[in-house]
Amino acid sequence: MNPSKRLPLTCAFFLAAVFNFDPCCLLAEEGAESGQPIDFVKQVAPILEHHCIRCHSVDVSKGDVSFTTSVQMESQSLLVPGDPDSSHLLDVVQSIDGQPPEMPKEGSPLSASEVEVLYRWIKEGADWPVGVELRERSKADGSWWSLQPIATVVPPESSESNPIDRFVFSKLAEHGLRPSRQADRGTLIRRIYFDLIGLPPSPDDVRTFVGATDEHAYESLVDRLLASKDFGQRWARHWLDIAHYADTHGFERDQRRDNAWRYRDYVIRSFNHDKPYDQFIREQIAGDVLSPDDPEAVIATGFLAAGPFDFVGQVETQSSSLRRAARAADLDDMLTQVMTSTIGMTVNCARCHDHKLDPITQSEYYELTAIFAGLKRADRDTSATERKVFDAETSRLKSAMDGVSLKLAKMKASHIDLADVVGGGNGYGTGKKGHGIDVRSGKIQPSFVGDLENIKAGEYSRSQLPLIDGVFVPASGETQISSTGLVAHDLPKHSGKGWDGIRNGPVNSQFSTALGSIDFASPGHSMIGLHANAGITFDLGALRKSAGFADVCLFTTTVGYGGQPPTPSADFWILVDGELQSHAKLGRNDTVSVALEITPDKQFLTLVSTDGGDGYSMDQISYGDPRLADKNPKVIDAATIEQIVALEQELQRLDQEFKSLVQPAVFYGIVAEQPPETKVLVRGNPETPGESVNPGTLRFGGARVQFGPAEMSDSERRIALANWITDPSNPLTARVIVNRLWHWHFGRGIVGTPSDFGFGGERPSHPELLDWLAAELLRSKWSLKHIHRLIVTAKTYQMTSRIDAFQPDADRSQQKDQTQDARSIDVDNRLLWRMNTSRLPAESIRDAVLSITGKLNSQMDGPGYRDFDYEEAYAPIYTYKTADEPELWRRSIYRYIVRTTPQQFLLTLDCPDPANLTPRRSVTTTALQSLALFNNEFMLLQSRYFAERLEREAASQDAQIELAFQLAFGRSVSADEREAAKSLMNQYGLMHLCRVLFNASEFVNVD
Amino acid sequence: MWTNPNVVSTRRDALVSMAGGFGWLAAQSLMHNESHAAGSSLAIHHEPKAKAVIQIFCPGGMSQVDTFDYKPELIKRAGTPFDPDGKLEFFASKPGKCRPSFWNFRQHGESGLWMSDLFPKLATCIDDMAFIYSMQSKTALHGPGCFMMNTGFTTPGFPSMGSWVTYGLGCESDNLPAFVVLPDSRGLPPGGIINWGAGFLPAVYQATTIHTQEGQSPIEDLFPPKSFSSIDRHTDQSDLALLQMLNRRHLEQRPGNTELEARIAAYEMAAKLQLSAPDVTNLDRESAETHLLYGLDDPEIGPFGRQCLLARRLVEQGVRFVQIYCGAENTTAEKVRPNWDSHEDLARDHGYWGRILDTGASALLYDLKARGLLDQTLVIGATEFGRQPAGQGGDAAGRDHNAGAFTAWMAGGGVRGGTSYGATDELGFKAVDSPTYCYDLHATALHLLGIDHTKLSYYHNGIQRRLTDVHGAVIKELIS
Repeated sequence: MNPSKRLPLTCAFFLAAVFNFDPCCLLAEEGAESGQPIDFVKQVAPILEHHCIRCHSVDVSKGDVSFTTSVQMESQSLLVPGDPDSSHLLDVVQSIDGQPPEMPKEGSPLSASEVEVLYRWIKEGADWPVGVELRERSKADGSWWSLQPIATVVPPESSESNPIDRFVFSKLAEHGLRPSRQADRGTLIRRIYFDLIGLPPSPDDVRTFVGATDEHAYESLVDRLLASKDFGQRWARHWLDIAHYADTHGFERDQRRDNAWRYRDYVIRSFNHDKPYDQFIREQIAGDVLSPDDPEAVIATGFLAAGPFDFVGQVETQSSSLRRAARAADLDDMLTQVMTSTIGMTVNCARCHDHKLDPITQSEYYELTAIFAGLKRADRDTSATERKVFDAETSRLKSAMDGVSLKLAKMKASHIDLADVVGGGNGYGTGKKGHGIDVRSGKIQPSFVGDLENIKAGEYSRSQLPLIDGVFVPASGETQISSTGLVAHDLPKHSGKGWDGIRNGPVNSQFSTALGSIDFASPGHSMIGLHANAGITFDLGALRKSAGFADVCLFTTTVGYGGQPPTPSADFWILVDGELQSHAKLGRNDTVSVALEITPDKQFLTLVSTDGGDGYSMDQISYGDPRLADKNPKVIDAATIEQIVALEQELQRLDQEFKSLVQPAVFYGIVAEQPPETKVLVRGNPETPGESVNPGTLRFGGARVQFGPAEMSDSERRIALANWITDPSNPLTARVIVNRLWHWHFGRGIVGTPSDFGFGGERPSHPELLDWLAAELLRSKWSLKHIHRLIVTAKTYQMTSRIDAFQPDADRSQQKDQTQDARSIDVDNRLLWRMNTSRLPAESIRDAVLSITGKLNSQMDGPGYRDFDYEEAYAPIYTYKTADEPELWRRSIYRYIVRTTPQQFLLTLDCPDPANLTPRRSVTTTALQSLALFNNEFMLLQSRYFAERLEREAASQDAQIELAFQLAFGRSVSADEREAAKSLMNQYGLMHLCRVLFNASEFVNVD
Repeated sequence: MWTNPNVVSTRRDALVSMAGGFGWLAAQSLMHNESHAAGSSLAIHHEPKAKAVIQIFCPGGMSQVDTFDYKPELIKRAGTPFDPDGKLEFFASKPGKCRPSFWNFRQHGESGLWMSDLFPKLATCIDDMAFIYSMQSKTALHGPGCFMMNTGFTTPGFPSMGSWVTYGLGCESDNLPAFVVLPDSRGLPPGGIINWGAGFLPAVYQATTIHTQEGQSPIEDLFPPKSFSSIDRHTDQSDLALLQMLNRRHLEQRPGNTELEARIAAYEMAAKLQLSAPDVTNLDRESAETHLLYGLDDPEIGPFGRQCLLARRLVEQGVRFVQIYCGAENTTAEKVRPNWDSHEDLARDHGYWGRILDTGASALLYDLKARGLLDQTLVIGATEFGRQPAGQGGDAAGRDHNAGAFTAWMAGGGVRGGTSYGATDELGFKAVDSPTYCYDLHATALHLLGIDHTKLSYYHNGIQRRLTDVHGAVIKELIS
């Protein structure tokens, strides 16, 4: 081949026009080749899909080259049907002049036979059947190991009783290795305590266990720890890492979620009660619809809402495209959490394109998002029934109290307060302060508004309130002022504009509520705020009837101006049955006292304000203490007083009952609505929706798994997914959870990537053991404690972690060989020839410190402790303080977790960021950790408490030192350690020794 | 390229991956040894031009049309409706009328590039600066926008550029951290400390926050709180002596455990930090001219000046990546907004912050240049997005968020000064010529540090992750 023909692919595009495709002349040549013609689909497509399409497709098209369709390839002159020598494709895939082929850039070159197939195919006319599009093949297909049914495995024959040991030891033997000796009992008890309950054993615990003669002492200890309440408090932390649980939203505003803790407590309880794992998963995905009457199952769905929430992006912004983007990210987070935690499949990689490694197409990703499309994160009642009962009780008591109050008010008060009537009340104080009426419609207007649009002067609107006839914006001249058609005359010209509503209290932006020396917004007074231009007509008949006034009434009020200007600039008008009773133009310093006698035949009392013709700005008319009273009030006799006392007692009793109602429990979880249509988002972009999809799940290269049509309800969708995940025939679910348990016990899973069982993850080190454990979980009806017990009672778990360990029956030279072998054969200890050491997680360091000083507050459950000061702001400010009071000495699992402002001390000790799903914590060793342990105020205060405890519980210096080592390390002090400790103690005090012990490697590490 | 996580490719990986990250300090010392021996650090893919990065981040969204991106057409169209069709939706408002820059623009330097009168001092540095006029963001929300500019992703949980650089290049200083962040004295930026977090990278690669206010301990827990008067240097030495004795004995009984070795070294490093951190943050020995240059005595400008001066001192001491924040989290406006988010009064808020940035950033460029450090120090000026050419509010005194266009700039460290890349449309609404996201800026910065951005990766939850995701191209036009 001529080297000059070797063009970089990018240049090929420009040569396209030179070649003409003529199928006829190609067909003529076809007969020249011997044998069967090349089959594109069977022979060519696999080559292109295997070697080319990853970089050269519609989505990626590196070098502007796409292999998706033949048209694309031809237009790029990569392919000249019938003319292999002109087809640039062949130039780049084979070696020229001893140089390696230019393509593929990644992966192995094409074999000679593959090149031959391409050559023949092009020569034969490069037939490419219509409609065939090449797609990148994922690296793994349906035959991937983790997708195969759980195998029935028989543990290898051996004398070991625990099947785990049979698997592990036989694998060691295959590699020429032997298990290490068992760890001593002191090491073992410290290991099992921290592992199962996250706390150190007490010196008594150690003494008892080390001295025990019972051959089942260890098994009994394990049973006791698995049954302790501390077990759930330790193991919930592992699950919450996967759920990326926190107590605030995160993102820009990072608001609080004060009810999130109920889900945290649910996880603790579930682990303590050994809730069957399938039920645990089903509840977390669909508990609210599977068991709506079981608050425990409802709270479980806090799992779906545990992650971060972009409040600004989803709620606050006015831009719909920003909201769509935030929503898509939210659904992705929810989906990724559910799928990686339960089945260890990284479905999130298929959001923008088909999964590159695992057999998951982009449309499957969107079929899965459809499951969650109806969900929103929100506070929610744990029990709908409880809420219903509470609401019914509330309304029963309120209406009973209203009834009694009205009776009382009528007996005690001689007047009706018209401002209270405007606030929707009965005139005796049941109205709402600040509430008003929309002058344009008569509707109730609870909160302030500004300028009124769409005003129609002269239009009369009936009021919804029974004691008010209606409202209106007066027309100039004649205007209707009652529903019966009464008309007021001679109202002046005004701007025709309006502001806010007619209020029980001042209107929006009212300058002052004081008229003369009285502030009518102060207790004991009331006022109607009536901004120009507006009018209101009361129904005198209804008022009289309600109050029981039979004779002549008296209407009194003090009218004044609520705005600032002293110059009179607004008018008020009072009419009875359309006849003007009082009118004046008012400024800041003007008040008018009004007292009108109203005979029983009168029907309507009308109050109006107009703007005086000079614009309506600040024209706020106040009607102070607007009251309607019986002109000849009843005399209160002794019998009435008795009644009043009885009613007051009744009211008190009702109020007590009302206050003792228990608020229904609320948790932070999800609320559902009918899911909207779900569409594939082309390249993951919410602005480029593609085809619609129905709810479904992963098919792993097989037939489409659809749960139902687009109309499927939210609850059916989630139940379907929960069932699919927890179906015993789903090979992933059981494998993933037993591997997680293994990972948490050994520091490394049988599969080293606990949330990724796909091609990108690790392969299992002990595949048979993994399948046996998964099957054992199913056999035990999903009992996690059963698996825990199996694991920690295995000899494998009880081995020493010493790298220089040796078998008791081996002599020194053999031991050296074994260590050398083990380290050269398996330096990472993947085969488990010894136990792994571990560094205590941040939470356990803190809990252990508190436990050792005796300060640990063992209070379980309920809202988390807050070791910060909270300051309300657009983005609230969380300022951490030193935990130095019992409430803040609870176990770390109860910490109120803030996303944007992590607790620095714990963060430094590798506590993960709850923005991330954390199946595997990283462990680092840094200078900042040393500073934190050495100087942090919490650590120093606890060192002081540690010293105080030692002084309290041990008399002599030697005894104090001995107790200190027992508490911190679970062992006795050695002679030279005692001398060194004593020297420090004598020089600077016991507290310094305590500080040193809390910083020691022996304290923070577990053998 | 996708790499199998089972395959341990470097000695550093081996150390970090052993049982989940054993032996940072062992790795740390390895880094030193390697870099000293071979003259290059771990992830160096080609000859670096820059040794260190100082990134100035202006949270809130700096307006491009009032600062660097000159738009004469906006002056012509002043007062005309920006969006006559009424189709656009901004973050918090409907588009108002075209609002020209609140400051006059002038050409400066030999390059003749434009800068507004908001930055009179920075304008004198223009021939050292390279501008990307065509920056875009995927979001117009502050939190996600800040995350994107700092980590390449709009969602939280990804490593910041400083963490990636530390992961790639390790630590150069023997007694200071590799990655230091100097937050604004008013508080944290939108999204909090996640902006400089290590995300899913091990915590070794997270930033160390150095507090810059006078009288404050520069590093959290560097010394015991004052309430513990019984602790002083002498007691610390005795405490440490016993501690290290216990730790060594513990290690002797467990030979081969590298993490235990690392812990012993970590306490030694901590002791060094107790000396070096107060020293590097002590500005007393800086000359009066320097104090004046950075405006340290000005109550408003001074705090940011301190951050800039400190950045220079840290870089001098071998710190690899310094991030400076010029502004804190947004709150509802009172007198002046605590960052650049100028919705209702841009003249007031950009005016206030402009004066601060102008002095600090120009002083930093001058000072670095005068000391011969600018050539090897890449300075980046960034914000999370730009602002709208239309005015916001009844009197059009503010501007709403704009993810479609903003300006970022770079200087020093192999950048060709007095150049520019890309352009926005005639009003500055949208990048039209070479539109680019943070990926290209990140790729370019990594390139200048000798790193190929496609090769710096870390496995996390199924994906070999990169700072530049699956994007990014080095902007060669801006490289000298």
